[in-house]
Amino acid sequence: MICGKEDVMNVVVLVKQVPDTEAKIEVKPGTASIVTETITYVVNPYDEYAVEEALRIKEKLGEGEVTIVGMGPDKATEALRTCLAMGADKAVHLNDDAFAGSDSYAAALALSKALEGLSYDLVLCGKQAVDDDNAAVGIELAELLGIPHVAVVTKIEISEDKTKAVCHREIEGASEVVETSLPAVITAQKGLNEPRYASLKGIMQAKRKPIDAKDAASLGLSAEQVGAQGSRAKIVSMTPPPPRPAGRIVPGEPAEAAREVVKLLRDEAKII
Amino acid sequence: MADNVLVFAEQREGKFRKVALEAVSEGKRLADKLGGELSAAVIGSGVEGIAGSLGAYGAAKVYVVDDPALESYTSDGYAKALCRIIKDTEPSILLMGCTSTGRDLGPKVAARMGTGLAADCTALDVKDGKLVATRPMYAGKVLAEVVCPDATPQIATVRPNVFSVAEPDESLSAEIVKVDAEMSPEELRTRVREVIRAAGATIDLTEAQIIVSGGRGMGGAEKFKILEELAEALGGAVGASRSAVDAGWRDHQFQVGQTGKTVSPVLYIACGISGAIQHLAGMKTSKVIVAVNKDPEAPIFKVADYGIVADLFEVVPILTEEAKKLLAE
Amino acid sequence: MLGIGGKIVLLLCIAASVGLFLRAVIFRVRLLRLGKSEPRFDRVGDRLRNFVLNVCFQKSLFERPFPGLMHALVFWGFVAFLLATINHVGEGLMEGFSIFFGARVGAYYWGFVDLFGVLVLIGILALAFRRYVLRPDCLTLPSTESAVIIALITSLMVTYILGEAFRMAIETTAADDFRFAGAFIAKGLASTGVSKSALNAGFLVCWWIHILAILFFLVYIPQSKHTHLLACPFNEFFLSLKPRGELTTLDLEDEEAESFGVAKINEFTWKDLLDLYSCIECGRCQDNCPAHLSEKPLTPKGLIVDLKHHLLEVGPRLLQKRGEVSADTQQAEDDVPTLPSNVISDDTLWACTTCGACVEHCPICIEQMPKIVDMRRYLVLMESKFPPEAVAVFKNMETNSNPWGIGWAERADWAKELDVKKISENPDAEILFWVGCSGAFDERNKRVSTALVKILKAAGVNFAILGEEEKCCGDSARRLGNEYLFQMMAQENVETLNKYKVKKIVATCPHGFNTLKNEYPRFGGNYEVVHHTQLIADLIRSGKIKLKGGSSGALAYHDSCYLGRYNSVYDEPREALKAAGFSVTPLDRQYRSSLCCGAGGGRMWLEETIGTRINEMRTKEIVEKGVELIGTACPFCLTMIEDGVKELDKAESVRTRDLAEIVADRLVES
Repeated sequence: MICGKEDVMNVVVLVKQVPDTEAKIEVKPGTASIVTETITYVVNPYDEYAVEEALRIKEKLGEGEVTIVGMGPDKATEALRTCLAMGADKAVHLNDDAFAGSDSYAAALALSKALEGLSYDLVLCGKQAVDDDNAAVGIELAELLGIPHVAVVTKIEISEDKTKAVCHREIEGASEVVETSLPAVITAQKGLNEPRYASLKGIMQAKRKPIDAKDAASLGLSAEQVGAQGSRAKIVSMTPPPPRPAGRIVPGEPAEAAREVVKLLRDEAKII
Repeated sequence: MADNVLVFAEQREGKFRKVALEAVSEGKRLADKLGGELSAAVIGSGVEGIAGSLGAYGAAKVYVVDDPALESYTSDGYAKALCRIIKDTEPSILLMGCTSTGRDLGPKVAARMGTGLAADCTALDVKDGKLVATRPMYAGKVLAEVVCPDATPQIATVRPNVFSVAEPDESLSAEIVKVDAEMSPEELRTRVREVIRAAGATIDLTEAQIIVSGGRGMGGAEKFKILEELAEALGGAVGASRSAVDAGWRDHQFQVGQTGKTVSPVLYIACGISGAIQHLAGMKTSKVIVAVNKDPEAPIFKVADYGIVADLFEVVPILTEEAKKLLAE
Repeated sequence: MLGIGGKIVLLLCIAASVGLFLRAVIFRVRLLRLGKSEPRFDRVGDRLRNFVLNVCFQKSLFERPFPGLMHALVFWGFVAFLLATINHVGEGLMEGFSIFFGARVGAYYWGFVDLFGVLVLIGILALAFRRYVLRPDCLTLPSTESAVIIALITSLMVTYILGEAFRMAIETTAADDFRFAGAFIAKGLASTGVSKSALNAGFLVCWWIHILAILFFLVYIPQSKHTHLLACPFNEFFLSLKPRGELTTLDLEDEEAESFGVAKINEFTWKDLLDLYSCIECGRCQDNCPAHLSEKPLTPKGLIVDLKHHLLEVGPRLLQKRGEVSADTQQAEDDVPTLPSNVISDDTLWACTTCGACVEHCPICIEQMPKIVDMRRYLVLMESKFPPEAVAVFKNMETNSNPWGIGWAERADWAKELDVKKISENPDAEILFWVGCSGAFDERNKRVSTALVKILKAAGVNFAILGEEEKCCGDSARRLGNEYLFQMMAQENVETLNKYKVKKIVATCPHGFNTLKNEYPRFGGNYEVVHHTQLIADLIRSGKIKLKGGSSGALAYHDSCYLGRYNSVYDEPREALKAAGFSVTPLDRQYRSSLCCGAGGGRMWLEETIGTRINEMRTKEIVEKGVELIGTACPFCLTMIEDGVKELDKAESVRTRDLAEIVADRLVES
């Protein structure tokens, strides 16, 4: 449901809880999944830019609500609370065992149903989640909602009348200035802003903010439509990458070593 | 019915991007394995002329949507055009380069078609008539194999510089099929107003794919010139460690480290940088690290993939020379 | 002596003076009571001891011998003159009044007073000379208050001696036997041949000026920095008796609390406010503050003086609130400005390295540095307003338990090749080696950890490490004001340590050492914690390790703040160094006057953009001693000084090494 009230800007931010980027990732033997017991989970860093931007928009306009929407198991509530502690107003938690194993499409589908029940002028999310790195959910969601999207954005300016946004979109070696009608989905790239640190005051206030839990049924979806069952792309295996060769000192006279390194960069590392 | 492969061959300013040719080449290989046909989709304005060249890479047909409204990439425009071609050709597999366009177009088409997408693939294969896409997850800590068992087309975007471009066979030609996607400018909900090119010196460090960085060992602001030359030769940016910034040799916006910028380039060349932990915190996720330092005990060598223990003023110019030679080939 | 008119005038003046004095004092006491409560009535014996030493004997002032002695003279003189002043008033109101009722002891007393009259004069003039001629940095000029005080005290002594001289020139009694100063001047007066009535007039003038000056002084005391006369004795009594290295613990579970940390002046405790009255602006703190010395806007003296002026300015508004609650009073309180970022600037607050030199050198037990942390707490916990570099540090500590954000699972990797057991593998270890974040993750400091392991093995010590279960001790978080994060980490660490029933801990990092020893007990962690230099000294003493003989040359040893000033560990490191064959070159600033390396207070993680570099300043003064080796006992100091040596371009000739490395090199392999 789209808002349309002129003086108020309601923003929905999609947030995912993911393993910390420093975590040791190990494949659970015999499965197409990873060992999760020893992992610390955090708010997806790209989603943090989205939350921060939403809060800044709200602060600038003085009015409107920032709603966090996230899909994940029980512990994903922590990530939602963190966003509430940053200053968001309320959260919706898509929590159902049936959602497990969603690919980008199934996730976008469930999220689109959740958004149908909310009023928004703008949807923000990170450009990609640092676990699957597929960078697709935000764009697929826009398509399912029938609204435009601008992806990998480093700057957003909302027009005075709130019907348009001008975004700086990162492309190879350049920045595209793209104008889009609102509502739209905009995905955040690093450099959009510096996310704030939640104060203790914010953390305590967050305890009292509402988190609305939704299961598949409440979104009008059956188990076959969501999660692993509803996924169009399925992960059939996971393996660790070939081990990174140990770093080494390249011997020889400076000029010799330099030449050797350039060769290695081309042949071994395949960079140039 | 045969399983066909469709490749979206991305063009920019009237030239196919290298990754488009890589995707076409790989698409041909997969089509052959499937016993089907390779088709290409070329979308833009004034692009009919280049379409035919894809025949040399194995495309049997090239579908062209040529319309002024498609001069610049917009997701509305290109998705409509591509989906029209997909509807007409019903391919089993759709490939495209994982570029900023591919990363934008792939998901939109996947959602519109209700199909699966595997992004940034580093290997592709066909098993039991289905595409098996290998792609990195968890920032490359895991390689996953992804299949799309039921929906079509099975979509995969390919990582640039991984697949090889086939030797073009000029004796082959492709049938050009013009497609009218019935574009109208009003249905484009986004519009590109302008493109701001990043000149070499103003490339944001966090976006640079190659960074050449100087530290205390540089000894002076003017000494950074050799790093600038190396960076230019490689198409990268110049960074600096905190010592160099504190000494006033480089501006703070180029500082890499815990209190500066965190970067994750494909190649990071650290010259005269000891590798104190605060610096490492800003660059250790670089894919490949090269270190040049006089001091064999410098901590940077513990994280470098390739290290040279020598005077950087002797090493760096040679690196530049060799890089230039290599890239000219 | 005085006619009825004179007596009435005298009484009126006394009444006015005492009235104004009491009014000012009561106002200031009421302001004190605005502060939060704080229990400081324990250990009365220790408190009295401190009072006697530092107030009565002025011990803490003698750190600076010259001004210390001069002030002591003025102070003792002041005490000596108390009876004299009572006598002065008495003789004005009652003919022939003598406080000693003619007893002989009076004569001795008056001689004693004369002596002090002279000494006080010498003292005050010497201090005036210091202030106006020598002009040391620590004293603020101009200072009207100081000028007034100097003038008052000088005239009090002059009018006293001159007054008695005039009287003695007319006639003397047995009580005057020992008034040598008066006698001396009296002889001179008598020889001028001036008439008796002129002498009497002179006496009365001096007499009146003297008493009026005293009465003026009485009113002036509470209105100027001379409040310290009243406040200091109490401040010395109420000194902080808890370990120097323990900051106050906030009760973050308190549902009633509207705010944490100190935002407004009345959120300090009454002792904090008493500190403000006690400051005489001597500048000892400022002279030793690394921030001030490196041209940052922070000076502990300035901080205390600014807070005092602010308290006096907004006090009335705050007192108003304490009466009835009405819309006006709520407005009054809301109008009172916030301290952090406002009355006290951000740059001032974040410049502090928590080195503790200000607290150490203050002769009257003012606690400047904890007030800064209190204000930081407000900024961090309530407003999330702090230097942006700290965001990553906090987040990294939360997610990976170290400030650099390196995966927590890698915390034991440094020891992989060293055959070091984790406590989970060796639960009977006698001592736990607390490695710390630097020791585990920083390449340079890993070598220190490795050196200590070598020493422990050579000594046959049965030790273990926590490995991946060890988390950052939280010191930086706490000092930066993030009390919430600190408490979380402290609780987790205590839980882990208690799980393994750890009894004894050795730490290479003084910050970890201090926090585990002095702050963890409040979270249920009670362990015997030693610093590695203490352990090494012990192992040498008991012969468990043997060092190669012979001379190793000279080195300079840098006392770390959290080891030295905070925990008084000065001698053991030097013992160990001497046993290793070194002669320790003394530094100008060492032991409790050691200059901070600049990394404390969480500043290791922050940018230093104002003024000069603290670490360069400290390194320079060490390097100027001409040593080739600098010994350190802290990973922060090691980093800062090594960097300082590089910045001074002396890396080729000066090495910086930790004590563990130095000793490990000299182990006799058995």
